[in-house]
Amino acid sequence: MVKSHENYKELVWRLAKTDFKLRYHSSVLGYIWVILKPLLMFTILNFVFSSIFNFRNSGTPDYPLELITGLLLFQFFSEATMTGLTSLVSKAQLVTKIYVPRWTIVLGSTMNALFIFGMNLIVLAFFFLIYGKIPSFLGLVMFFVYAILLYILAVAFSFLTAPFYVRYRDLRTTWEVLLSVLMYASPIIYPLTLMPAHIRQILLINPLAFIIHFSKQGIINNTFATYGDFSLLFLGIIFAVVIAFFIFRKSEKTVAELI
Amino acid sequence: MKISEPKSNIAISVKNVSKQFSIPHEKITTLRSAFINIFKKKEYESFFALKDISFEVKKGEFFGILGRNGSGKSTLLKILAGVYTADQGSTKAYGRISPFLELGIGFNPELSGRDNIYLNATVLGLTEKEIDEKFDSIVAFSEVERFIDQKLRNYSSGMSVRLAFSVSIHANREILLMDEVLAVGDANFQAKCLREFSRYKEMGKTVILVTHSIDIVQHYCDRAMLLRNGEVSKIGNAQEVGDEYIRQNKLDLKEK
Repeated sequence: MVKSHENYKELVWRLAKTDFKLRYHSSVLGYIWVILKPLLMFTILNFVFSSIFNFRNSGTPDYPLELITGLLLFQFFSEATMTGLTSLVSKAQLVTKIYVPRWTIVLGSTMNALFIFGMNLIVLAFFFLIYGKIPSFLGLVMFFVYAILLYILAVAFSFLTAPFYVRYRDLRTTWEVLLSVLMYASPIIYPLTLMPAHIRQILLINPLAFIIHFSKQGIINNTFATYGDFSLLFLGIIFAVVIAFFIFRKSEKTVAELI
Repeated sequence: MKISEPKSNIAISVKNVSKQFSIPHEKITTLRSAFINIFKKKEYESFFALKDISFEVKKGEFFGILGRNGSGKSTLLKILAGVYTADQGSTKAYGRISPFLELGIGFNPELSGRDNIYLNATVLGLTEKEIDEKFDSIVAFSEVERFIDQKLRNYSSGMSVRLAFSVSIHANREILLMDEVLAVGDANFQAKCLREFSRYKEMGKTVILVTHSIDIVQHYCDRAMLLRNGEVSKIGNAQEVGDEYIRQNKLDLKEK
């Protein structure tokens, strides 16, 4: 390895900032899109499911709050994994014309989703204000813990897949399809409580569903996962990111030749 | 590549480096054959881009690498920079190497000159603080003061090359790798670059330049190396290596 880069932190930060700056560079509404996108999704889904399926009167009085929280978390995950997956290819110049530690490229790219999520938290705060709901302190803390875990999960996914996307461009389409499967396999547009108990158990094996369900439960209903379940999730995600990073260090070696 | 403690007067030492590429041997022209190809095992043809290359570059040397297209020049430089990993052999750098092969890496036309300086310099390994300190000097050398807050897409190509070159010489490395950088600018700019390289030499820094220009090698380089089909064809005095390159080119032309 050429150890000529000691400015990792600055590099990741600069890459992330640049992506964010360039994201809406030639659109009229610019950064308003960051907020508008989930709001539009919310409006459509809320109309369909609140008025037609009437979740609100069947045991989920805070359905709109649950919906927007779930949507924001899911969009955060899908955005982070999508940019992470394609990061090495979309920044090919940094891979083939220079040596920078490649993990900085992957990490810097995913951070864009983090910024957008951060901005969307303002939207979420407004929703809670409008619906007159005040989350408990523990609920808030757990919400942020889950958001961080979700980000780490997305980073692990990106480390694992980015070098392979260089070889197999089919991965992008595959992941797009899988993301929409994941969206319906997670309690976003429907409340988990609607499901029979045994299906609930199966759905919660999916870490994305677990995170979305319990972060909603925490800030809205002040109920939480058991210590055992949470520790399992926590350790699982930490384990995943460590393993993913080691695999990345092996698989990144040939990416420059394959791009 | 490892950075080792300064040892005598060697800047870079390359020992028995080989690099092999495998190229898929196929030609898909129809949708049908594309579909069939999914199930067929692909055949690969492998060839040596570099075969058992060994050489040393001394500190403060201006070292030229000549060779025709496909002779392995760029592959060698990419291995030195750390972009590729060699299949065999070892490379050692005594001092910090500039890890880039082209100017203006990361430059984005939608960003201002200022943002591009920060982006490019960060990619080259400078910290925010270092860039702050060098910013004025970078701008001054590139002569784009008036346009520094304009988007790069409004720059002429000469202006962006000057800006890119200016950032790269402020990257402050002991060993500078340059792949065909002189081909882009005008004569004036070339002269300025070469002057800068000489200044580098005086500071005891090392420049390795890959180029097609025999003229530049013979005039400015201290020593040079000629690559042919992935092997070292000649190494030593820049004048002689340049002459050998001319001789080979003439021979190749005759054979055709």
